[in-house]
Amino acid sequence: MKVLVLGASGHIGARLMEMLQATPWAKATGASRRMKNTASWLEVDSRDPRQLAQALQGFDAVVNCVAGDAVSIADGARALAQAALQAGCRRIVHLSTMSVYGPAEGRVREDAPLNPSLGWYGSAKCEAEAAMHDFARHGGEAVMLRPGCVYGPGSQLWVGRIGRWLQAGRLGDLGIAGDGWANLVHVDDVCQALLLALRLPTAQGKIPVFNLAAPDSPRWNDYFVDLALAINATPVRRLGRRRLQLDAWLCGPPLKAAERGLKLLGSHGVKLPDALPPGLLALWSQHIHLDTQAATHRLGVRWTPYADGLRDSAAWFTAPAAASRHTLDKVICTP
Amino acid sequence: MIREADSIPNGSRLEADVCVVGGGPAGIALALSLSDQGHAVLLLESGRLEPHAPTQDLYEGEVADEQLHSPPGKYRQRRLGGSSAIWGGRCMPFDPIDFETRAHIPHSGWPISYEDLLPYYPRANALAEAGRFLYDAGEALAPGTGPLIAGFDSERVLSNGLERFSCPTHFGNRYARRLALAPTLEVLLGANCTALRLQEGGQALRELQVRTLAGTQFTVAARNTVLATGGLETARLLLASRDVAPQGVGNTHDVVGRYYMCHIAGNVGTLTVHGPTSDVRHGYEISPEGIYCRRRLSIAAGEQQRLGLANAVARLHFPRITDPAHRSGVLSGLFLARKLISYEYSKRLKDGPPPTAAVYARHLRNVLADPLDTTGFLAHWLSKRTLAERKFPSVILRNRSNRFSLEVHGEQIPQAHSRVTLAGGTDALGMPRLKVDWRYSRADIDSLGASLDVMAEEFARSGKARFDYNRHTLEEDVMRFGAYGGHHIGTARMGTDPRSSVVDADCRVHSVRNLFVAGSAVFPTSSQANPTLTLIALSLRLGDFLSRQLRAERAPLQMKEAA
Repeated sequence: MKVLVLGASGHIGARLMEMLQATPWAKATGASRRMKNTASWLEVDSRDPRQLAQALQGFDAVVNCVAGDAVSIADGARALAQAALQAGCRRIVHLSTMSVYGPAEGRVREDAPLNPSLGWYGSAKCEAEAAMHDFARHGGEAVMLRPGCVYGPGSQLWVGRIGRWLQAGRLGDLGIAGDGWANLVHVDDVCQALLLALRLPTAQGKIPVFNLAAPDSPRWNDYFVDLALAINATPVRRLGRRRLQLDAWLCGPPLKAAERGLKLLGSHGVKLPDALPPGLLALWSQHIHLDTQAATHRLGVRWTPYADGLRDSAAWFTAPAAASRHTLDKVICTP
Repeated sequence: MIREADSIPNGSRLEADVCVVGGGPAGIALALSLSDQGHAVLLLESGRLEPHAPTQDLYEGEVADEQLHSPPGKYRQRRLGGSSAIWGGRCMPFDPIDFETRAHIPHSGWPISYEDLLPYYPRANALAEAGRFLYDAGEALAPGTGPLIAGFDSERVLSNGLERFSCPTHFGNRYARRLALAPTLEVLLGANCTALRLQEGGQALRELQVRTLAGTQFTVAARNTVLATGGLETARLLLASRDVAPQGVGNTHDVVGRYYMCHIAGNVGTLTVHGPTSDVRHGYEISPEGIYCRRRLSIAAGEQQRLGLANAVARLHFPRITDPAHRSGVLSGLFLARKLISYEYSKRLKDGPPPTAAVYARHLRNVLADPLDTTGFLAHWLSKRTLAERKFPSVILRNRSNRFSLEVHGEQIPQAHSRVTLAGGTDALGMPRLKVDWRYSRADIDSLGASLDVMAEEFARSGKARFDYNRHTLEEDVMRFGAYGGHHIGTARMGTDPRSSVVDADCRVHSVRNLFVAGSAVFPTSSQANPTLTLIALSLRLGDFLSRQLRAERAPLQMKEAA
């Protein structure tokens, strides 16, 4: 099976490339906006349907791991659906997100209604899902995965910055403010699910959808305390909602402005503290618990136990190179 | 879902797999655990999140001797979260010896062992937000943290044990969202259980009668009912339900309400540590996961057995607050501000005859003479307690003199005539009020004295410290404020023999197959430990038992359907 991976230089895409290359049945090509000097790489702007259609020629399937701003996500997905139909690329495996459920709480199965009200990210991801439905209506095969928070080695979003906040005493045990479920899923499990989705039999016009989160993933407070202990960011602090809000609303804007300013000046050497996006405060107290029965039983994902994922994540964080490694996913503020 | 009991139509009959009466730490832990396992749970809570005087008044009752025991409505809160709304947060497990039948402690012995409860303690610790289940300083604190007293190491008197502190977590505030979202759980607020109605013959509970202060009445018929209403109210409810069993539910052998225990506690003697003040770690330490921990002295189990002692612990404490001779500005400040402190926390600031003007003047002088220390203390208190999410647990003074008193907290030996009974009057819902007649015995004091003697011997033997106390004033020292407030234990004790206990090893009332009790009422002995952590653990164990039982009841039905 010839597979093109869009967003192959990102956290998930990069790991997926490694895993695809290790399978006997897939021949993987990576694609991203920036060229890489390897034979199995294409330079593609995934928002451009013509470029995409050209790139997709000859591929049996495409995996959409594109991250970025709202336009890249939504327009990119629409462009991909159109291009895949044109190029005769039969299958799209689309990486969506739990953010499409919006502010839902309690156990959430894949048939729960979508709610784009939580911000640009969830809204763009809902649009991207709609594009996949279009693709299926026009005869394409699509499978969608909705991961929770992807952790494990390389995750700047859910290990890197969390670890840095813990070290700085800006995060800890949050009480009620951190009582939501973390819905953590190991990057290897996401990639495993992507691999399984590439070969999953599908029925005409139907899109199988799977939530992805380790069934033993704890609540945010547990994750924060466990990670803090594992990376020696101790003693863990107890922080309340007020304190987090001050950090997010008072320190956030100047930090963001300074970050942009430094970027404009072309300075990459200065490392600023990560701003705390207010959206995260809502996420940490949101009692959304992804139901992953379908991924377990129908897709057959074998989940990395939380303890192992935590150990991998902490080992990556404490390895000398990790702290300075910044990947594409750093630009996204919500899962 | 959480809703008002007044929204239930009058005369309704509600059903559930399990009805939990009482939304305190025991009831909330149990209800969440059962609903996590998919069972339909109805939690009846008399109050709401905020305190409400008419609801709180339902607790009022009599005491035989107010010098010995506070009124029944004190130290208890009738609201969602129960008395965790005002608790101090001290957490530590019972010791293995507490569960054993000890020849020297009459009526001792649980029908379960420490090992039976151990699997539930870590979850209890987590619910109480007290961190990891580690109670040995060597395991719980960062490596290199020094001992209680440098150079003091004894096999008879252990000094490496810890107590941990909850935030203190208000279970109502903390878990309201979980309760509201649990799909198979319904919480009714303002719902007072006023009677347990047995089936004819008395072997099973038919229904609960529920009333609200606004006048709504309905009944609950659950497969299983659990009373989680605290050590006093549980006995009251059992005793007051007399329609089928005239002596009260589960009271065939006149055990309900008897063997009532609290703890024997007070500040005793003077401990003088030799050497530099930096040798002593008398205050709070913070564990890696951010929990306040404090060391305590205890008598090794073997020594308790050999000397015939009840269990007891001691902490290094400051001198008696009311006596201005301590010359501490902080303590005098506390004494002067005692009227601003709640009943529960100011009780031990009010002893002896009313202070004279001269005593006031000496306290005031202490405050004025010690302005830096007093200001520093206030600043620390404001930042680490008043404004902090995890509160600094109690007043700790800087150690300037290496002199302390020992704050002891001892097990009380169970005795049948220490008891609660129904009193004459009734509350606003027509329930008989409670009368508390708490007793202690000579043996309680003697045991504590003997424990202190062991400590004194071991301090002397070590050459590191010296402990002096007056054996003749020990009883006065520990009974000055009567029973230690808030620990209401033993009124529906657990055992194998219905003639001397109310519930069995599964917390089931012996004579009523679908009625259970959660909480410290079932503890047959009181341990050295505060009861909250253990009653949460026991609730979680009960939750697992009920869950297994409900599954077993359902299993044959499903098989039949399949056939």
